[in-house]
Parts: sequence; structure tokens; C-alpha cells
Amino acid sequence: MPERELTFAQAVREALAEEMRHDPRVCIFGEDVAEAGTPFKVLSGLVEEFGPERLIDTPISEAGFTGIAVGAAMTGLRPVVDIMFGDFVTLAMDQMVNQAAKIHYMSGGHWRVPMVLRTTLGATRRSAAQHSQSLHAWFSHIPGLKVVLPSTPYDAKGLLKAAIRDENPVVFFEDKMMYKLKGPVPAEDYAIPLGVAEVKRSGDDITLVATSSMVQVALGAANLLEKQSISAEVIDPRTTWPLDEAAILASAKKTSRVIVLDEGYGRYGVASEIAAVIAEGAFYDLDAPVKRMGAMQVPIPFSPPLEDATVPTEETVCAAARAMCKHQL
Amino acid sequence: MAFSVVMPALEMAQESGKLIAWRKKEGDRVAKGEPLLEIETDKAVVELEAPADGLLVGIKAAAGADVPVGQTIAWIVVPGETPPLESAPSTATAPRASHPEAKPAPTPAHDASGPALPSRVKISPKARRLAKELKVDIAAVRGSGPEGEILASDIEASAAVDRPASKVRNLELPGSVGRVMAERTTQSWTTVPHFFVSREIDAAALQDYRNRIAAAMEPSDAGAALTKMVRITHTDLLVALVAHVLLRHPRLNASWSAEGIRIHDHVNMGIAIAVNDGVVAAVIPNAHSATLAQIASRRVELTERAFAGKLRPADISDATFTISNLGMYHVDQFSALIAPPQAAVLAVGAIADRVVAINGWPAVRPRMTLTLSCDHRVADGARAALFLNDLAEAVRQPGKSLG
Repeated sequence: MPERELTFAQAVREALAEEMRHDPRVCIFGEDVAEAGTPFKVLSGLVEEFGPERLIDTPISEAGFTGIAVGAAMTGLRPVVDIMFGDFVTLAMDQMVNQAAKIHYMSGGHWRVPMVLRTTLGATRRSAAQHSQSLHAWFSHIPGLKVVLPSTPYDAKGLLKAAIRDENPVVFFEDKMMYKLKGPVPAEDYAIPLGVAEVKRSGDDITLVATSSMVQVALGAANLLEKQSISAEVIDPRTTWPLDEAAILASAKKTSRVIVLDEGYGRYGVASEIAAVIAEGAFYDLDAPVKRMGAMQVPIPFSPPLEDATVPTEETVCAAARAMCKHQL
Repeated sequence: MAFSVVMPALEMAQESGKLIAWRKKEGDRVAKGEPLLEIETDKAVVELEAPADGLLVGIKAAAGADVPVGQTIAWIVVPGETPPLESAPSTATAPRASHPEAKPAPTPAHDASGPALPSRVKISPKARRLAKELKVDIAAVRGSGPEGEILASDIEASAAVDRPASKVRNLELPGSVGRVMAERTTQSWTTVPHFFVSREIDAAALQDYRNRIAAAMEPSDAGAALTKMVRITHTDLLVALVAHVLLRHPRLNASWSAEGIRIHDHVNMGIAIAVNDGVVAAVIPNAHSATLAQIASRRVELTERAFAGKLRPADISDATFTISNLGMYHVDQFSALIAPPQAAVLAVGAIADRVVAINGWPAVRPRMTLTLSCDHRVADGARAALFLNDLAEAVRQPGKSLG
């Protein structure tokens, strides 16, 4: 039997549907989540199966419905909040940073907040500066939150199920440009533990640590590099917290050269943190400075050619990797 | 005023010099005329003297480095003074050997904006660690990185060149047998006054005798099938024959000692056995009274243990005489080293057909050459000759001694 393939969006929907079937406490809050199935059609069909009691369309009020979810999680539900564009998390920051992340600690373990905040990231959709950012670094910075960045349909399903089952608040970022990406997804129930990186491609000369859709960019770059006799390893941390430092360091020590790819802003970003982990843990095995590649330090432009220039591509990653491995050519 | 120390041109066509060693360290006080460093040219190693009094600072080349002629490799300054920038024109006097046509020091690009102290080599952390581990002098390594930095592969390549494979690969460390062999043979050759006596003898009877025994021991014999079958070799026959003859030649079955010559009343026969690591002499005790079968089975036992490296101390001690047989290697004749405190060793060559004169006519006979090495403190040439004479006779008629 051929392997079953789903799009990234279908994989997310299947994870939600399976968890909602399996656990009546799982419910969804957000804008246009029920009838509309979100603008990206990720949730299409769910309201037909589970009804408007479990998929609640909210007013445009991110702080409000995120707060409702925090309270619902504290009192026994397992809500999944949908924040349409990742840029809008700014409105929900107090609920996530000051409430969700702190309650278990400040209540001395009496309260738990087993909620998931699903949202999007990623540029090149021509959505302009307020709808194109990748703000996952903000959450990765906060103790008490877990942050998940799936890069394939398979990982999306397995990681989302693990996130829903987790007893802590988890922020789950989906790159809106990957929703149509197809890949094998088993029909059965499986969860991928949070905090376990995966080597997406094995190589010897250089390591590309990449998150979310940058994993796809890295894999494309690795193919280009292979044609030039440079063997690139692609490693996907899958979660920025918990971070699988051991797997990243093992790869860095193996190849001695690392580029970290993350679509967030480079300055004080996820790529910087991972680069620092490598500098601390693999310094004496590095043969070149660790390089970060991410979104350009500008508001993301609406102009398509300008927007495209702000994010790493297979070609720019390939060129950077070539420069680092120059002596080998 | 700072004085520069530059790589001098010591020969007409010299382009660079190899820095062999610094006689002074960074920060050392030096006096004018004191030896500062050693330099190797194509023809010689020369000492370079300090051009001035002061402190040696800003050493830019390490031992082993190949430095272009005219390049500044260090400075001599007065205490408190810092050496000038690398790009500043040198106002210093050149050392005595400086050549007027010496090229100006090439200025590396990355040094142009910085002070020359201390020299900064661009090198990756991994390369620096490897250099330390592989003991590679980074000053002598050329970087191949994108901006000329030294990379791990440069260090590995340099380490491979510094340690030619031949040096390491051809060094073999002897095992315990090899070490003992080295000690004993040295002791023997340097303390025992050896002399050698050779004799070619007829081996036809020896061969016949061995063939007869072999036939008699065919496995058709029910009794032999029950006991462990052991093939009798020429060595076994020689052990028995030599043991019998030795009883009549006590000076060859003896030991030199400070008190005098010790005569042994029994023959413990050593047999040289070649093993992987060298040679060992295993002992057949009381060979003069042992049967051929006893000798052969003891020999087989010893050989097995020798190859397995499991000889016991008793297996190799108290020999009174040794036989070394290289016949199986088709050696015609050789002389062996005595194993003290024994007085003699018999070197046995291969049995081979030779043309010899018999009753005035040429005939083809199987012959073998025996060479006796003797300790001249114990036996002289005449005694050795008489022994070989009797031995030749015994070999000619093995049945007489062995029955």
C-alpha cells in the first residue's frame, strides 16, 4: 500500500480531530475557527463533527479569548487557542507571559495550565509588515512556556498531539506557507515527544540547524550543495524549548561548521540562542564561526521582490555554506 | 629606541631561513652580542646575536617557522617601551649578518592596522586544539580558509608531513620473547669467546633409519592407533644421537663458572624453536636416557606450547646443550650463538644430495653440514673435532646408538 500523504494543514486538522475525539476536554477558541475553518482552512469540517460548543468563534479580542483559555485550562479543559496571524500574539502576551507561564509556579503547583496556543509565522505571502513576522523567539524567551515549530506534515501531527497532551502551556507555530506542503502522515495515533531534535538529512561537511519552514529551505540547499560535493547535515530541533542541545552539539562536533537558519529576526533571536549553545558546547570542535541566517532586520516589505530578499532561500544558504567550506573545493 | 630582529640573508641566493630555536624567551632581558636564536639555511645552522641590549618582545615566528629574508621576527626594546607598528619603517640597525639586497619584510594584510605584539594568527578553535594535540607549530602552517585562516585540515595535513609514515610505521617494539632474545644474545656474543667447527657428514643412514621407524609406526598397528601418533623427525633422531655422544664428551656438556668448569652428568637437550617474536630454546630433560618416542612427544608438546606462547619456566631452564636445526628452511650451513652457561650449540643444516668422491669415484649422497659453536673457556678445537668425529660416526650408524 502506498504511504498515505496529507498536506501540512490536513495533518494539523487530523491531530486536532483525533484529540477531540479521544478527549472531550479539548476545545478550540479563536476568530473564524468554526464556520470559516480559519482563513487558511486548517479547521475546515471540525465544527460539523464537534459542534459550536467545542469550536467557539470569538470576537476579535486576542487578549480576551486567550485569557478565557488560561482560565478554562486551569479549571479542567484542554483548550487550543487559534491566533490567526502570529503577529497578533502581541495582544495576548500578558495572558501567555504573565499568566499561563507563571500560574503553576506561583500557585505552588496547585494550578496547571494545559493549553495550546496555535498560531502562524512566515513571510513571502505578500501579507505586509503586520502579518508576516515570525515571533516565536518572544515565547522561547519565557520560562514556563514550551515552543513547538513543526517542519513537516508528519511532525505537525505528532507534535500537536504531544502539545495538547502536555500539562503545560505550549505555543505551536505553523508556517502559513507550508500549509499546502504534502508529506507522509500515518493514519494511526502517534505523538512526538517535545524536546527531541531530528536529523532530517545526514552529512559530513557542514551542519544546517533549521526550524519550521527553514528546514525545507535547508534540505533544498543541501541538495544544491551535494552537486558541489559538499555534504550538508540538516538538523531540526522541532522545539525551541525544550531545546535538544545534545543533538545539536553532536552534529556541530561532527561537521565542525554550522549555519543556523530561523525565520525570526536574527537580532536576539532563536538562531542567536542556538549559535550560543554551539559556541559554548562545541567551541573546540568548530572550524569556522557559527553563522546565523534569518529574517532581515527590517519591517517585512509588501513589495514582493523586497519581501523575498528578507528571508533565507536555498540559494543564499547554499552560497553561505559554500563560502564556509571554500577551502574544500 | 626599538631594534628589530630580522631574518638575515646568510647566503647569496637565500630567500628564507628556518628558525630552529629561540635561545631567549618573550620578555627576557638580553645583552648585545648574546646568542638570540638559531637559524638553519640550506648549508648550515648559525647563531644570531642580539643587536642591542634590552628586552626581547613581539616574537613573531616560532621554532620551525620558515621566514622570508628581511622579515622582522622580534623586537628588542628598553623596559617600558612598546615595539613599533608593523607597517612603520624600520629605523633599527640590522643584525650583523643582514644582507644589503635583502627584500623588505612582506606585511601581511591583516596586520596592517594592528600592532605587531603579540602576533595573531587566524586559526579556528578546532585547528588550535588539534595543533596542540598533534604538536604542530601553528606559526609554520599556511592557512587555507576563506580568509587565509588556519583550519583543522591544515593542521592535520601539517601533522602528516611532520611525522613521515616511515618513521612511525617501521618502528617495531619487541615483545617479551624478542626482548629476552636481544638481551641473551648480546650477553652471549659479548661475554662468551665463541669458536666454530664445521663438518659435512653423510646422512643416508639417518634418512633410512627414520623411514624405517615411520613404516614401523604405520597406523595399521592396533596398539599404535590407541596411543597418540607422533612423527619422528630428523631433529628427534639428532637429539638422541647427540645426547648419547655427549656422554663420551663431557667438556661439551659443561658450563663455565667463576669457580671452574662444571661437568654435567646428564644431558638436558635444548631445541631452538622459532616463534613469531623470536626464538626460544625448549628443553628435553635427560635426553640421554629418553626413548625416541619420549623425545618426539616431548618435542611436540614443547612446540605447541611455544607457538601458543605458553611455555612454562621448567620448559626452558637447565639445558646443558642446544641443537638448532634450520634444515627445514633449506639452510646449508650456519653458526649459532651459545646460550650461556652452556658450553656449546650444534647448528644443523639441511640434508641435500651432493656429489662426493667415494673410493675415487664421484657419487651422489645425501649430506648435511653440522657446525659446532664452542665456548673456548670450556672446550678447544681438538675436543670439538673429536666430538664431531664421534657424532658423524653415530649418524652413519644410528642403530648402533639407538637400537
